[in-house]
Amino acid sequence: MSKQISRRDFLKLAGVGAATTAVLTGCGPASRYVTREPYTKMPEYNYNGLSTFYATTCRECAAGCGLVVRTMQGRAIKVEGNVNNPVNLGKTCARGQATLHGMYNPDRVTDPIHHVSRGSSNGDKMDWDAATQVVADALSKNKPEEIAFLMGMAPDHLFDLVTDLTKSLGAPAPVRFGALSMFEARATLGQAAKDVLGQDGLPFFDVAGSDMVFSFGANFLETWLSPVAYTRNYAKMRRGNPDRRGYFVQFEARMSQTGINADEWIPIVPGTEGAVALAIGRLVAEAKGTSLPAVFSGVDVKAVAQDSGVSVDTLTHLAGLFANAANALAIPGGVALGQSNGLQTAEAVLALNAFTGNFGKPGGVYLSTLAPLADQYHRPANIKEMQDFINTLKSGSIKVLFVHGVNPIFELPKSLGFADALAKVPQVISFATFPDETAMQSDYVFPDHHGLESWGYQKVATGAGPSVLSGAQPVVSPFYNTHATVDVLLAAAQKAGGALASALSFKDEVEYLQSKLNALLTEADSYFSAPEINTFMADFQQYGGWWKTKDGLVAPSGVDVLGKSLKIDPAQFNGSGQYYLIPFVSPVLGDAGANKPWLQEVPDPNTTVTWNSWVEINPATADQLGIDNDDVVLIKSDAGSVEASVYKYPAIRPDTIAIPFGQGHTAYGRYAANRGINPADLLGPSLNGAGDLAFAGMKVSIEKTGKKKVLARLESIMGVYGTPQN
Amino acid sequence: MTTKTKIPEVAVSQSTTDQGKWGMVIDQDICTGCQACVAACAMENNVSFVGEDDIAYGRGMHWIRIERFWKGDYPKVASSYQPMLCQQCGHAPCEPVCPVYAAVHSASEDLNLQVYNRCVGTRYCANNCPYQVRTFNWRDYARPEPLSNQLNPDVTVRQRGVMEKCTFCIQRINAVEDKAASENRQINDGEMLPACAQACPADAITFGRIDDPNSKVSQKARDGRGFMALEELGTLPRITYLKGGSLHGSNG
Repeated sequence: MSKQISRRDFLKLAGVGAATTAVLTGCGPASRYVTREPYTKMPEYNYNGLSTFYATTCRECAAGCGLVVRTMQGRAIKVEGNVNNPVNLGKTCARGQATLHGMYNPDRVTDPIHHVSRGSSNGDKMDWDAATQVVADALSKNKPEEIAFLMGMAPDHLFDLVTDLTKSLGAPAPVRFGALSMFEARATLGQAAKDVLGQDGLPFFDVAGSDMVFSFGANFLETWLSPVAYTRNYAKMRRGNPDRRGYFVQFEARMSQTGINADEWIPIVPGTEGAVALAIGRLVAEAKGTSLPAVFSGVDVKAVAQDSGVSVDTLTHLAGLFANAANALAIPGGVALGQSNGLQTAEAVLALNAFTGNFGKPGGVYLSTLAPLADQYHRPANIKEMQDFINTLKSGSIKVLFVHGVNPIFELPKSLGFADALAKVPQVISFATFPDETAMQSDYVFPDHHGLESWGYQKVATGAGPSVLSGAQPVVSPFYNTHATVDVLLAAAQKAGGALASALSFKDEVEYLQSKLNALLTEADSYFSAPEINTFMADFQQYGGWWKTKDGLVAPSGVDVLGKSLKIDPAQFNGSGQYYLIPFVSPVLGDAGANKPWLQEVPDPNTTVTWNSWVEINPATADQLGIDNDDVVLIKSDAGSVEASVYKYPAIRPDTIAIPFGQGHTAYGRYAANRGINPADLLGPSLNGAGDLAFAGMKVSIEKTGKKKVLARLESIMGVYGTPQN
Repeated sequence: MTTKTKIPEVAVSQSTTDQGKWGMVIDQDICTGCQACVAACAMENNVSFVGEDDIAYGRGMHWIRIERFWKGDYPKVASSYQPMLCQQCGHAPCEPVCPVYAAVHSASEDLNLQVYNRCVGTRYCANNCPYQVRTFNWRDYARPEPLSNQLNPDVTVRQRGVMEKCTFCIQRINAVEDKAASENRQINDGEMLPACAQACPADAITFGRIDDPNSKVSQKARDGRGFMALEELGTLPRITYLKGGSLHGSNG
């Protein structure tokens, strides 16, 4: 840009158009030096009553939905979806809507903090020069192999920078983790893709093009992979084609929010999903009169019916539906993969797809489009790798640990011992925006901006047809004395000097971003094109990212999965209790929504419970045990115990109980702390074949406590607050 | 000497046509119950959060909620989601019972208004609403700083003792109408989106002019699956629900 236009000039220009819906770029790179702050003294150029809109990217999960944030007088007022972004096409979920309650949360970390003793709520405020020096010393005074980075699922530009940084230092590559990825069993999906689809990657299930969806535990309308995109495709499956209404069958022991939307809900014994998939495959082959592929030939339908609790009649009926559908699709996911046999289950379900021949066809299975700037799909760490990481920390060989965007003390099962491992690390530096459990156990907290105050990009791993890089820019100036973690690391690299300083000689975060985005200037089928980086950057900000105009879904080559036999081992359950435990991610709170008051106020879709945790128990089981609604029960597993109120849930197997994940914080601000329970406390360290946690592989016991704690439900029930129960 | 000022007359006006002006269609076959509309509404309309205890007492302030009714017993148990919000009735039961004309019918927009600075909190309107969509401010609910930075300046912040409810995002209607008027044109179909419809990931909520038979919302309302909530009460709701769980176009 030859001439730097001031923000004031720019707003004058923008005001001429005065279209309130125009999305502003903040005028390209120049705007990084411009503050967007609440106007206590109104500048004379400000048009009263006119909003300005900035495109950015949601950071409530890693899906990378595009947002357009309405701002007024320097305040962010309302989050709306970016209609141009192929991931969400103008739509948002509840978590995206409530992201402003994160930015304006009263309990953010406002300044860099030094905890004199870990875990104390009081810390000494530092200035950023000193903070940067601490980071620089940590990088330069430790040996490279003594430095570790633990990163969250977002944002990707920071992950790229840390990758560059560790490479140039010679330090171990950053480890990436998130609770959602744990419950999504991403490693299992990836491994199954490799084994059955023939390629490594994250499978994409074209729900929109299907007329018959069999979901084996996949909670794809809740928090799974890319919920907004999958919900849009679900709606298209149902009503997108005027000639047909898509049919949907869900196999799961506890009816999830996704399951409620199904035409048929099959309450299956946990861990038998793979066997049921094979049995259905066999029955489909028989119904179609085709020769029986080897993969299905070994399955004994009657025995499967016995084990799974799904009758032969039901299996035959379902196989008939699947066989007669034009575009049948089977999805493995969620709780079905969180079993000791989860990998086999995923492969069995994918084999069902292979049998219908839907690989790479509309309504079938694809591999997700590779995001721009990505050489290949990098999945987050599975629990096996996290165990290795924890063991490394425990061994004392790591001298400094940097943590960003993830809260492992809360998210990981307690039985993995992350908290103990953390205690063995001499120096822990957190970049947390909120005072979460891990930040509280750190020596230093150098707060990053909130996502809406940040630059960045997110490589969209799945959900969109085209290859998408969702772009982020600050929609308001940082509210507190926070610094972008990228800027802190860049500054620290300069202070550290040496090879690191020359490898990361970027003036600031925007220059680093541009160095990455440069590679996109010459790409074909570009949503916009620009001759040079400054113009490109302006467009990137205005449109909220960069994507291709053409679909890039990969048709998998497929391997001969049908010709080989596939053995499904019986699922192993740990614990001596009587009841299967299903931990599920709260569809409303997700993994990190508990600190946003309006998300706490939004009721759980199925129970309408707000602000707390509950245990779902089948009414018949509850009656047997003499337990009523709102009775507090003690749930015990091999790994631990929790106490929570009972919700008599009519849509769960009598031998199964379920607890939502998302509450049970001991820190994380006033709205999250000391509220509800964390089912991760109950989980043991058992893994499935792909190294993901067998989070649904627990058996637990229920004990009465004699206490009562009324759940705050939106629905009315008899018997609460003194009225007699009928 | 005193001059006699004429006290302006306030009359309860009800809609004269069955048709109405603004309307909504909610397709229950694609509503997934995800609660995006609930959060979007709260963010747009400065709806207070009341906390666990008050929610338990039934004092939640949600202008829109997703109703979930169980049918049958395990294992033949089923459910569906029905978003419930002010139906903007043509013959609204809330209006004639208000002693201070706080619940009045808008002549220009044909909507049910709630005039906050008239409301004295008798709660007669809420008692008379068959849809239970009016919410009452039992307290001045806390909004610790800096949460107030997020308040939408186009929407009044309500306080203790005042009844409130869904307005069909009338601030957005006014903005769109002003814009169309300044550009000397009609409002385009789909130009006006309330916060709930804008957020809905499934696009289950369609909003528009129901007095225009060609608008998307009118076309969808004519789908054979359409019904109105408690329509036998004769309230003339402006929201048409499309029944879920059946084959396309059939009423089964």
